[in-house]
Amino acid sequence: MFNKILGWLTFIITMTALYLVFMWVPNERIMGPVQKIFYFHVSSAWIGFFAFLVVFIAGLAYLFTRDNKWDTIGVSSAQIGVMFTTIVLITGPIWAKPSWNTWWTWDPRLTTTLVLWFLYLAYLMIRSSIHEEEKKARFSAIFGIIAFIDVPIVWFSIRWWRTIHPVVVDSSGFAMSPKMFTTLMVSLLAFTFLYFYLLTNTMKLEKMRAEVAGLKERLRNS
Amino acid sequence: MNYLNQIRTLVWKDLTSELRTKEMLSSMLIFAFLTTVVFSFAFDPDSETVKKVFPGIIWVAFIFAGILGLNRSFLSEKSNDCIMGLMLCTTDRGIIYLGKMISNLIFMYIMEAVTLPILFVLFDYRLKGSLLYLILIVALGTWGFIAIGTFLSALAVNTRNSEILLPIILFPLIVPLLIAAVQATGVILGGGVWADWSNWLRILTAFAVIFTVVPWLLFDYLLEV
Amino acid sequence: MEYLFAAYAVIWTVIFGYTLMLGKRQKELEQEVFLLRKSLEGKQ
Repeated sequence: MFNKILGWLTFIITMTALYLVFMWVPNERIMGPVQKIFYFHVSSAWIGFFAFLVVFIAGLAYLFTRDNKWDTIGVSSAQIGVMFTTIVLITGPIWAKPSWNTWWTWDPRLTTTLVLWFLYLAYLMIRSSIHEEEKKARFSAIFGIIAFIDVPIVWFSIRWWRTIHPVVVDSSGFAMSPKMFTTLMVSLLAFTFLYFYLLTNTMKLEKMRAEVAGLKERLRNS
Repeated sequence: MNYLNQIRTLVWKDLTSELRTKEMLSSMLIFAFLTTVVFSFAFDPDSETVKKVFPGIIWVAFIFAGILGLNRSFLSEKSNDCIMGLMLCTTDRGIIYLGKMISNLIFMYIMEAVTLPILFVLFDYRLKGSLLYLILIVALGTWGFIAIGTFLSALAVNTRNSEILLPIILFPLIVPLLIAAVQATGVILGGGVWADWSNWLRILTAFAVIFTVVPWLLFDYLLEV
Repeated sequence: MEYLFAAYAVIWTVIFGYTLMLGKRQKELEQEVFLLRKSLEGKQ
């Protein structure tokens, strides 16, 4: 029931966000329509980082409580995080090409997202190379904590690194009008809802998978 | 036995067993030397551009050789269930981590002390800055690398494909360390001033301290039975 | 404009792909549950 309501809410807000982006908000003066990538690009980036925060908190909670629920939250959030960071990494270059005439810039935000993406993959790799359910949960929780602590250091190091090299493009961009701000906020809300909707569904699947694995184990031992 | 004594015993154990077999150190040394030679074939050592990427070459050689050593470091404990014995010996598992880290660090320093002069000779590089500062940066960078590397090696050794897993989970984490170490080394090699590399020194110190303390705290959870 | 289209196409393709993957995994799990049930019946 809850899931259904969440699904419909996500749908409605996403449609509203799309309407705002394409029909309501004016084009940016210099960049033109291409700038509209911005709304969903930034929202994806936010959710990507937020998902990582959830992995971190779930990791801590798991180590303290040893409740499998937290592990399910962690792994589901990591999978969705991979999805959103992938969106950021693909839409980033698509936006950069027409506006700065280069596919990739070693901008702190984009580069940190790339590192984040690799960290997520590492997290999932650890999970896939361990059989025992308990060990899988414990190790990935530990890695989630370590990786989360690493992200701010990555950000600072890349920022300092970039100030040494000549900055080709200034990515700090443009002044946002109130309409743009509203559109961004609605897009952000839409993706937040999408995140939670996907999270509940992925969690359900993960729980089922763990149960099936447990049943199989029991069957093998009996 | 107090804390330091226990750590010293563990380090001593690692050093003696390494002295007997010389397995890890020799493979690290040969690998680092080989990487250096491969680099001098791949990039013409005489050209000016190579002088610019020289700091990067140094660190890539160190880190690759380090990964090789780290992969081995807990493998020896896993055979014959030595790790179980270690866990029974001490009440605090953080000691096992610190002991392993220090002995790995010693192996790395030995490897670097041999490789660094070879690198300078093969690339005919002349140091413009202070040697003392260079040693400081190399020591600090290696400490950070080994601190996080030892921890993840203990994690990876318990999985099915540990030797492939370790680099995959380690490399993204050491991105800031690599940037800071390479940049600082570059500034010092070129005879830059303190202000140019103090920021990098700060990152390296922060990295080393954070990733010694956090793994030390988390090691209890890692080594559960 | 093409870039805008490409970006939004990518966004929704990725989300769609993720949902499809979830569906596929669910189907696999159902298959496994079915097999488990069958082998359980066989044991009894």
